[in-house]
Amino acid sequence: MMQLLKVSARNLMRNKFRTLFTILGAAVAILAFATLQTVLSAWNAAAEHSAKDRIATRHKVSFVITLPKRYIDTIRATDGVTAATWANWFGARDPNAPDSFFATLAVDAKTFLEVYDEIEVPADQQRAWLEDRRGAVVGDVLAKQLKVGVGDKITLSGTIYPGDWEFNIRGIYKATRKSVDRSQFLFHWDYMNEGLEGRGKDQIGWVISRIDDAKRSADISATIDKAFDVKDTQTVTMSERAMNVSFMAMLSAMLTALNVVSLIIMLIMALILGNTIAMGVRERTGEYAVLRAVGFMPRQIGFLVVGEAFVIGVASAAIGMGLAYPIVEKGLGRWLEENMGAWFPYFRISGETAAMGMALAVTLALIASAIPAWQAAKLNVTDALRRVA
Amino acid sequence: MIPISYNLRNIRVRKVTSAAAAFGLGLVVFVFASAMMLSEGIERTLGRSASPDVAIVMRKGADSELSSSIEDSKVGIIKADKDVAKSSDGQPLGVGEVIVVIVLDKLGTNGVANVQIRGVPDNVLSFRNTAKIVEGRAIKPGTDEVMIGKSIRGRFRGLDIGQSFELRKNRPVTVVGVFEDGGSSFESEVWGDVETVRNSSGRDGIVSAVRVKLTNADQFDSYKASIESNRQLNLQVQRESEYYAKQSEGTSLFIRVMGVLIAIFFSVGAMIGAMITMHASVAHRQREIGTLRALGFSRTSIMLSFLVESIALALIGGVVGAVASLGMQFARFSTMNFQSWSEIVFTFDPTGEIIVSAMILAGVMGLVGGFFPALRAARMSPIEAMRG
Repeated sequence: MMQLLKVSARNLMRNKFRTLFTILGAAVAILAFATLQTVLSAWNAAAEHSAKDRIATRHKVSFVITLPKRYIDTIRATDGVTAATWANWFGARDPNAPDSFFATLAVDAKTFLEVYDEIEVPADQQRAWLEDRRGAVVGDVLAKQLKVGVGDKITLSGTIYPGDWEFNIRGIYKATRKSVDRSQFLFHWDYMNEGLEGRGKDQIGWVISRIDDAKRSADISATIDKAFDVKDTQTVTMSERAMNVSFMAMLSAMLTALNVVSLIIMLIMALILGNTIAMGVRERTGEYAVLRAVGFMPRQIGFLVVGEAFVIGVASAAIGMGLAYPIVEKGLGRWLEENMGAWFPYFRISGETAAMGMALAVTLALIASAIPAWQAAKLNVTDALRRVA
Repeated sequence: MIPISYNLRNIRVRKVTSAAAAFGLGLVVFVFASAMMLSEGIERTLGRSASPDVAIVMRKGADSELSSSIEDSKVGIIKADKDVAKSSDGQPLGVGEVIVVIVLDKLGTNGVANVQIRGVPDNVLSFRNTAKIVEGRAIKPGTDEVMIGKSIRGRFRGLDIGQSFELRKNRPVTVVGVFEDGGSSFESEVWGDVETVRNSSGRDGIVSAVRVKLTNADQFDSYKASIESNRQLNLQVQRESEYYAKQSEGTSLFIRVMGVLIAIFFSVGAMIGAMITMHASVAHRQREIGTLRALGFSRTSIMLSFLVESIALALIGGVVGAVASLGMQFARFSTMNFQSWSEIVFTFDPTGEIIVSAMILAGVMGLVGGFFPALRAARMSPIEAMRG
């Protein structure tokens, strides 16, 4: 067996140009596959890495309609809820770069970091933030983007809450979990609320609660919703994961398209591979006939052909993934994390993607070689020898 | 010159490898053309929502209708300006509408998606005269009736004629009609009575944005100046076309960048495929090439001949891919509009330009893929080549 595989590898060396380009072509396909799959898994990251012991409560009908602030007290009093906090989508822009997008959230500073323990702020910065009404905490990626550091002042213009809002940067947070958007701008809800009048006052966007037992999340959610069912404003509560997953439906067409495209690219790879193998077989028809004539079995001849495909598959998988890591993680990924962190908080090749890419490459190579291998194996020895002579 | 029929016959002789190479190139062209068509569709859908003589007024600083709000008291002032056209009965042509985004179950998935609800005044169909009811009837003012855009019909639970969904508890609204608007983004919206919508979303007394028809598209600057100079109003005026161009920027750019990136990856792969095929075809025809040289054909004509063959192969694949991509115009692509956070349905729009550029892409792939093999063929020494 190993001997035959060695012969296969040697055969490939006979036409270096063709082998080289086939491997290159297949490697590019694998690189593309890895990139596309990484886009997909980056989108899913939020859902996959969400905390199991957190539930979120929002307005029943719409994300843009707010809840009365007193709801937080009801939720905190619900059995099983150990901590709860709230946030409002503030929607501010940097007046110097109005087109760059980042999330601005008005939060309850006292409880927000308690519920989101994967957002890490140094203790002294956290204290400084709590003491400063205009204080804000930003993610490390956003801090770089806005070119601000602790102690700096910044003015943002509100899109939903009009006017210019002044903030003092009091802390920079780091994420200990992959799902965290590192380009958020967090500030005191109280500061926002004081600037409002009338209907907008004392309204909160949504509530996030930590519960004592992840298994009870459905029960606790139902209890919360039931409490508000008789009120003017109804709510929907679900686990953070369910909320994130349900949101992926909005991108479902995009996800399907990317999946289809990455399948097509593997198909192209199989075509290139199959073509190369078929050419090799055609050229070596005479040799295979001789091998058969000296006593090799048909399946050994077939193995010789499949072996060639196997070697190409393994080589291109190795080169493709070898290229993918520096390109995706160092180049594209870093750029996306720094510039589109809100969409791609964590853009890295997952072990799953890498394994799937390699496995697909080798499997497709083997499949692509099936027909040429079969043809070589069923060769009619006398005919083939005559053709050569 | 070596006749082209020689090359065409050659492609036919090597049926399987030619087909494989052409198919690979065809797939590239298909994906490239589809992505371009989608991007075109996005721009058209959002662009078609705009009329040149319509101005949109929003609260200063708001970046979309969704984030804007204007008190009712200001709506009269906005519409009363001299630059606003009047209807035959002397009423100013303007609509103050409220936008709400609600969550509905998306059929065919386990998830939900945002749907944009537009609370419209009763003159909306005369204001937007491109919008027409295609099934059922228009909503009656002051009722809990809604009409839905053609594109989102049947895509969500409750969004079909006769069905209903809740805007708030015990306040179901019923779908009574379906409208179309020449493929614009309005077709991805639900329209209900303005009072019903703002009442159920707690927005009494405010609208999101006001659109006015100007007496003349050239009056825009004068209208803008007159509204924006009134500091008390604290409003901003945009042309509707500018507004939608900005709204579509993100989504369209994203699809285009994705499409081009994928096309680059793909074409490298396909070019290599073509190169391998051509290379083998040159190696196989060594003797033929030697004979052609011996007959007196120059190196240049050998080179040209192989390039022609490679390009022909690529164009065959290109045609197959382009024709297949035309089939995409029957597909619907729904995605989240990054600006409004809500679902919007796009179509793939084929244009002559896209087909031409797809064919050019195919030709270039053939040219690049065939270059080295052709060069090799041209460089062969006739004597050695004939010796085999």
